[in-house]
Amino acid sequence: MLNYSNVIQNDKSYPGLQMREIKPVMKLIIRGKKRQFLSAVGKSLNLLLPNEANTSSRSDQLTALWLSPDEWMIFSNEILKTDDNNYNVEKLLNRNICKTNLGAVTDVTDQFVLINLKGDKIFDLFETGSPFNFNDFKSKKGLVTQTILTKIDIIVHNQDINDVNLFVRRSFSDHLFSWMNDSASRL
Amino acid sequence: MFLINCPFCGEREQSEFKAGGEAHIVRPKQPTELSDDQWAEYLFMRKNIKGIQFERWNHIHGCRKWFNMVRDTSNDEIKAVYKMGEKPPVK
Ligand SMILES: [Zn+2]
Repeated sequence: MLNYSNVIQNDKSYPGLQMREIKPVMKLIIRGKKRQFLSAVGKSLNLLLPNEANTSSRSDQLTALWLSPDEWMIFSNEILKTDDNNYNVEKLLNRNICKTNLGAVTDVTDQFVLINLKGDKIFDLFETGSPFNFNDFKSKKGLVTQTILTKIDIIVHNQDINDVNLFVRRSFSDHLFSWMNDSASRL
Repeated sequence: MFLINCPFCGEREQSEFKAGGEAHIVRPKQPTELSDDQWAEYLFMRKNIKGIQFERWNHIHGCRKWFNMVRDTSNDEIKAVYKMGEKPPVK
């Protein structure tokens, strides 16, 4: 974070679609199976992890995305300061989850790029390059899915109606963003 | 193109998955007591049935979980999916 460089240089705008990178945002992957793990995370963060597949939960500061029966992504709702890459949330989880052998915490802040999309053409764009059926997904706030877009693994979070967060691995993000721009220009 | 019902995520397109070979192969309890032929049999030899086959699959572009599938290899009809460690629901 201290030497933070952008992958995505410019915000882009098309009729019915705006795309921009949101940064810096803290992102953690947490893994665990036991019931004590779930309750320890809940108490540490004041946020219940979503149990149901393909859903998310949200507090004032944090959002938790279901990725798998024993894996979640937690990210900060607000943009963080750029002069520091120590997160209290991570410290707290390290103490209450890792040190107690309940689960694992991995900082993926710099591994994943968060692209926010807004507008009523978001899913028209996704449908040009993803095998996922977005028909029910797009109308339900809070749904989450992992799928592929132009053969690249992505995490899609339906934050609000016509407001979607997309997480992609940093090494793929430049290519994905240029593909999205190319595809959006033809919608 | 066909749809696979991931036991964790629900119905998804085939391209999100990866086939992982034959299911329910048990590792010999005492490998040191096996002959090379018996060990090779366990390690390499796989069925290639035309008809009902028991397979392992991974939802590689989704939840990344392994699961089992009963599939008719002659027409790609999926008879059942079930989690690792569970008994096959059909014979
Ligand atoms: Zn899955």
